Amino acid sequence: MGLSELLSTYGEKYLQGLLATWSMTAVSFVFVMMLAVLVTVARVSPYRPLRVVGDLYVQVFRNIPGVALLIIIAYALPELRIVLDWRTCVIVTTILLGSAFGSENFMSGINTIGVGQIEAARSLGLTFTQIIRRVVIPQALRTTVLPMTNLLIAVMLTTALGSQVPLSPQELTGVVSYVNTRATGGILAFLVSALCYVGTAFVISLVGNRIDRKVRILR
Amino acid sequence: MSQEQAAEKNVPVIELRHVDKHYGDLHVLRDVSLSVARGEVVVIIGPSGSGKSTLCRTINRLETIDSGEILIEGEPLPQEGRELARMRSELGMVFQQFNLFAHMSILDNVTLGPREVLGQPKEEAEKYALELLARVGVAEQAHKVPAQLSGGQQQRAAIARSLAMRPKAMLFDEPTSALDPEMINEVLDVMVELVRGGMTMIVVTHEMGFARRVADRVVFMADGQIVEEGAPDDFFDHPRSQRARDFLDSIKGH
Repeated sequence: MGLSELLSTYGEKYLQGLLATWSMTAVSFVFVMMLAVLVTVARVSPYRPLRVVGDLYVQVFRNIPGVALLIIIAYALPELRIVLDWRTCVIVTTILLGSAFGSENFMSGINTIGVGQIEAARSLGLTFTQIIRRVVIPQALRTTVLPMTNLLIAVMLTTALGSQVPLSPQELTGVVSYVNTRATGGILAFLVSALCYVGTAFVISLVGNRIDRKVRILR
Repeated sequence: MSQEQAAEKNVPVIELRHVDKHYGDLHVLRDVSLSVARGEVVVIIGPSGSGKSTLCRTINRLETIDSGEILIEGEPLPQEGRELARMRSELGMVFQQFNLFAHMSILDNVTLGPREVLGQPKEEAEKYALELLARVGVAEQAHKVPAQLSGGQQQRAAIARSLAMRPKAMLFDEPTSALDPEMINEVLDVMVELVRGGMTMIVVTHEMGFARRVADRVVFMADGQIVEEGAPDDFFDHPRSQRARDFLDSIKGH
């Protein structure tokens, strides 16, 4: 099967797949960032139990294979009477994995701030919450645009886990299996999805670079 | 106790009683007692490692102490939490490395404390901030970020940031030690202005000329102890202790 035949037969399927990948990526990344901020705040908080929980969270979800986590969420949680629909299972998996890496990015961003600024904020009488909100998070966000751009791409690739469960509509990788069970698309079927991933990643990194140049903190 | 009552009763603005502190085996502050009256300017000098910076930092609890007491207008320094934050907001602190917030304009640096801690509205905070920035001579730089300023300008902006909280006293922890020589005077000039305005100040510094000119009292520290203190002319011309004589000899002669 040639490229034109593949696209004329399954073009719409690929388009749906691309949109499904994009939407799962977008939803996941929003929650990844929120959760990463929360986990990071816990990890730098003055309360030891919170720090321990935050560190533990990162260690667990940074070190578990995505497929294993998806299997747990999709097939083990129902045993505990927690049944999520397939799409939610994929998104939750992606969020848990991504936020662990996101928190690591933030931690390295926080380490660039320097204890002096924190001391200055404390000596002005700012509380922990105010320091986090006004000094730490803005700087951590602005110094981690490039690693977070990479994370967004990684989150997109993680949504390919969706190919392992019966999603509807299927995302890009699932579409490949779909096509190849119906026709002999072979390597070409993969190539179309791959180009979609690469194209998206290219745009993401262009935008990320531009944002980084705009918000980067002069030191 | 309110500020007026404290002033009436002649309660020191800052008082340390028998303060001790260790870093592991190192005894960095040994039974330090110091009292600073309203409007007084105390300059702390001493060789490096003598504990003078640590002393300065214990006063707003950036460093904790092992034993002893620190009182601000007669009230003990709170241990943690909101009370401590409130007490800190009443003491200005200027650091060796300026420590301006790198992601904010100079103006935002100065208004952050008043807006977040004192709850001032934006216009009011900015009006006063611009006044202060003009007073320390960096009004032109208000909308730049710290990295665009020279060290001297950054330090003057940092002083304005502290002043914006209308502090009861100011702590200066080696404010000119990180500056190129040609910028030291512009910062010292601002500090002299503060002295003229009657600000209560503790200044840790190596600027002996400044100490002699504006200090009400010079405190000499060595090995974590206050070795001697006195009026600047007495101290510089007739140091009583051998340690102080050695120290003064070591910095003279060039």
